[in-house]
Amino acid sequence: MSRTGAFTKRLNRRQYLKTAAAAGAACFMPTILPASALGRGGAVAPSERIVLGGIGIGSRGEFDLKWMLREKDVQFVAICDARKVRREAVKQRVDKHYGNSDCQKYPEMREFLATRPDIDAVLIATGDRWHSLATIMAMRAGKDVYSEKPSCMTIAEGREVVETARRYGRIYQTGVQRLSEANFVLAIELARSGKLGQVHTVRAHIAPWDAAEMSHAWLPGEPQPPKEEVDWDAWLGPCPWRPYNSTYIKGGWRGHYDFHTSCIGEWGAHTFAQSQAGIDASNTSAVEYHYVKNASGDGMVTKFGNGVQMVLSRGDQYWHGPCGMRFEGTEGWVASGDNYKQPEVSSSSLLEDGEKLLADYIERTGRPMNHVRNFFDCVKSRQQTVANPDVMHHSMSTVHAANICMWLKRDLKYDPVKEEFLSDPEANRLRTRAQREPWIY
Amino acid sequence: MTRSIVSLACFAGLLGALVATSSGQDAKSPAKSQEAKLIAIVKSSSSEKDKADACMVLARIGTKESVAALAALLGDEKLGHMARYALEPIPDPAVDDALRDALGNLKGRPLVGVIGSIGVRRDVKATDRLCKLLKDTDLIVAEAAARALGNLATPAAVKDLEKALTEAPPYRQPALCEGLFRCAEALSAHGQRTDALAIYDRLSRPEMPGPVRDGAARKARILRQEEGQKI
Repeated sequence: MSRTGAFTKRLNRRQYLKTAAAAGAACFMPTILPASALGRGGAVAPSERIVLGGIGIGSRGEFDLKWMLREKDVQFVAICDARKVRREAVKQRVDKHYGNSDCQKYPEMREFLATRPDIDAVLIATGDRWHSLATIMAMRAGKDVYSEKPSCMTIAEGREVVETARRYGRIYQTGVQRLSEANFVLAIELARSGKLGQVHTVRAHIAPWDAAEMSHAWLPGEPQPPKEEVDWDAWLGPCPWRPYNSTYIKGGWRGHYDFHTSCIGEWGAHTFAQSQAGIDASNTSAVEYHYVKNASGDGMVTKFGNGVQMVLSRGDQYWHGPCGMRFEGTEGWVASGDNYKQPEVSSSSLLEDGEKLLADYIERTGRPMNHVRNFFDCVKSRQQTVANPDVMHHSMSTVHAANICMWLKRDLKYDPVKEEFLSDPEANRLRTRAQREPWIY
Repeated sequence: MTRSIVSLACFAGLLGALVATSSGQDAKSPAKSQEAKLIAIVKSSSSEKDKADACMVLARIGTKESVAALAALLGDEKLGHMARYALEPIPDPAVDDALRDALGNLKGRPLVGVIGSIGVRRDVKATDRLCKLLKDTDLIVAEAAARALGNLATPAAVKDLEKALTEAPPYRQPALCEGLFRCAEALSAHGQRTDALAIYDRLSRPEMPGPVRDGAARKARILRQEEGQKI
């Protein structure tokens, strides 16, 4: 497929600038350069722009895209999706934003990645089943990646994302955006600061719908649409084949074992990363998992190597908003969730230096309270993001181990260095799943 | 119409029974009996769904006893993947023998799947056969072979990957480079840093694809820093 649209314009502008500079005084025609080429008038010079593409942008992806389009140094140029209706919708949205018709559409990922070397980074929001493999394919093609959560379906997939990022030197951010939201960051920093005393417990919110056990059923088969409309084979990707049913592609894939990471992964992808950040466990995973006899994992106690326990909690007794977390120490506690005006604390004195604590964090890390901005800053600086592959992999490994504990209905012990369960061959078999050809990393 | 032997409720029941027995009470006989039932389903004229479900459970409890029945499905366009789903985790060399045997009989996507599973299981005995597939006219087969050889990381794998890379047109290079990256990482992990550096230096050459070149140069730099060599 030939390069057209935004890439061609950008290339031609650069060539123009190079030629104009070389012509110098010999040129009798006045050289008029548009202000945007020089970064004037609020525009960002093309050489400073991050060229962005998208893979599988549905409802959540649209939310991310809206954020990303606000960034003046980002230019979205192409969408790849197995569904025609989504390719059209994203193109329409992007074209309207830029006031042109330049956004290109691609039905097939390999072609998209191979023919767009101009694209610097991709937003991946395909649904859980594709996040890791699409990330790996994009990284191999030289793209930096912002991938929605949960970033992987198994422990092995998460490890492969880490290794691929290292192999190709790519920048990666997983969409656990609360690691870049002030209330959550402040709660995490309070936990880390020692102001709570010795933190002994953190409570992590899991989704109040679905169960840990998921369905293995096939929805009734429907007539498969033409490939141009829905590429069902590509939509399934590495997952086991089943007959087409439109419910899957409209968001009804949740709750199915092959496509989803359960109620534990749905919010645990966020809250475990948040919790682990506050107890200095971002570079490890829980080592003990204690089975609870209910459908969701509510009340499961996990324990980290540093002695801190993380308790999974489905209800709202510890918070009053989604994706809550609560750190409990010997001298106090702090909790936060969505829609909080500020974290809740055991004593108001804990928040007296809250602003300074947050400001110190921002200065120390250079990370803005804006998850997508953090990603784009790191694309430019090549520094690690706040939700980089190692952070993602270790928190998701805790998610997967918790799921496996529920599926096997027994306590488990896990070695986060060897990334294997102790004395449990059956649990170890569940660390990975054979991928469906040809979608094998 | 063929009546399904195993309904969804029965599948859930099999899983439930499996969990009860693997919880530590009298594990051996019930698990063997469960496996025998599942093998019978795989071999029968049951529906695709029933066989897929059986494979799902065998992925957790399958032993050498299941290998023959599962291997027979490796060439099936619909069930080949589920056969591998069950075979891949079984810790018995009979699986490797079956996958290697299948290499000579399959084409297209089923062959890609088998190659992938060989790579996951790191069956070094398959090195020669995979090397022969590096120049397969079917691109996805050749690419799968390159990645799998990267997992094997034997001296023959390194040699043939490098040779293939020398002769490969640009569109075939990325997978070969990925294979070599994996070899270099394995060599480095085993203390063979000189050999690993040789690969990274090779992959850093100007004629290599940009993402590969940059990644390899960075890896070489890190390795040299670790070795305390002058950059």
